[in-house]
Amino acid sequence: MEQSGTSPLLQGAVQDLASGVVSALRSGDHARAAAPAAADGEAGGLALAAVRVLGADALLPATLLRTPPLPDELAVFRKAVEAFPPGAGAAPTVVWSHWAMRRTLRRLDPGHADGPDEEPDAAWLEDTTWQLLTHQLGVLAALAVPGEDCAVTRAAGRRPVDVARGFVRAVRRRDWRQAAGAGRWLTLLEGVPQTLGLENGLDFVELMGGQDPLVALQVRAARLTRAGAFV
Amino acid sequence: MSPTEKFTEELTGIQSADIEAALDPAEADGIYRDSRECAALALFKGGFGLLLSPPTPRPKKG
Repeated sequence: MEQSGTSPLLQGAVQDLASGVVSALRSGDHARAAAPAAADGEAGGLALAAVRVLGADALLPATLLRTPPLPDELAVFRKAVEAFPPGAGAAPTVVWSHWAMRRTLRRLDPGHADGPDEEPDAAWLEDTTWQLLTHQLGVLAALAVPGEDCAVTRAAGRRPVDVARGFVRAVRRRDWRQAAGAGRWLTLLEGVPQTLGLENGLDFVELMGGQDPLVALQVRAARLTRAGAFV
Repeated sequence: MSPTEKFTEELTGIQSADIEAALDPAEADGIYRDSRECAALALFKGGFGLLLSPPTPRPKKG
């Protein structure tokens, strides 16, 4: 088996999954992202891996639109959480992404119990440069949901101007994924400079990068958050 | 272990590494705007002014 083919395969699966989530966010329907038919065999392994990479956003329609997830969606999500825990010495984003999935599972499936809800360490975000902060927040944009309170959201909340600077930098670098993730965070933060023009900035990011489902997902999430659809 | 199980195990092993890489990506290299996009920015509702701000002046050498 050629390893070189696996990563693009996974990237494609993640993009397909993200497309499903975007579609669900637009229509208000279920994502059907965690397709139950794909839970076994090789394709199942790939589908589970894609859910793990997209993280808590795989169930974003349920979180933002308050539409209860289907039992089989939850089952696949749970399986992804269990199948791919962070390895020893995993990067903070890997650990936090897994924590966010467990938190989502607890919220949407109260019967699920998988041990204590202890937050991972977020010290790596303190005193980091605004460029790195924005990059890391972009990777962890799945944590940018209304009502979420954790060390990462608090770190972001303390530095709205830095995140705004990072958003502008990402746009100027044409890093649409990072820009979209930062834009999603900015919709949640207080103290964002009015001069940023976030609304138009998000429009621009969508115009330039919206063909990428991962960008479209973040922009859509930002819009729904801004519109207060979750209330 | 059947060949299919072995293949799946190999695939899953590789995916674990891929997953960690996907969740901890390096920052993408910056690609800066060309003049066409500058124009697009200028025309884009005229509301995203910060992007069009001139760069901070660099200190003169010497």
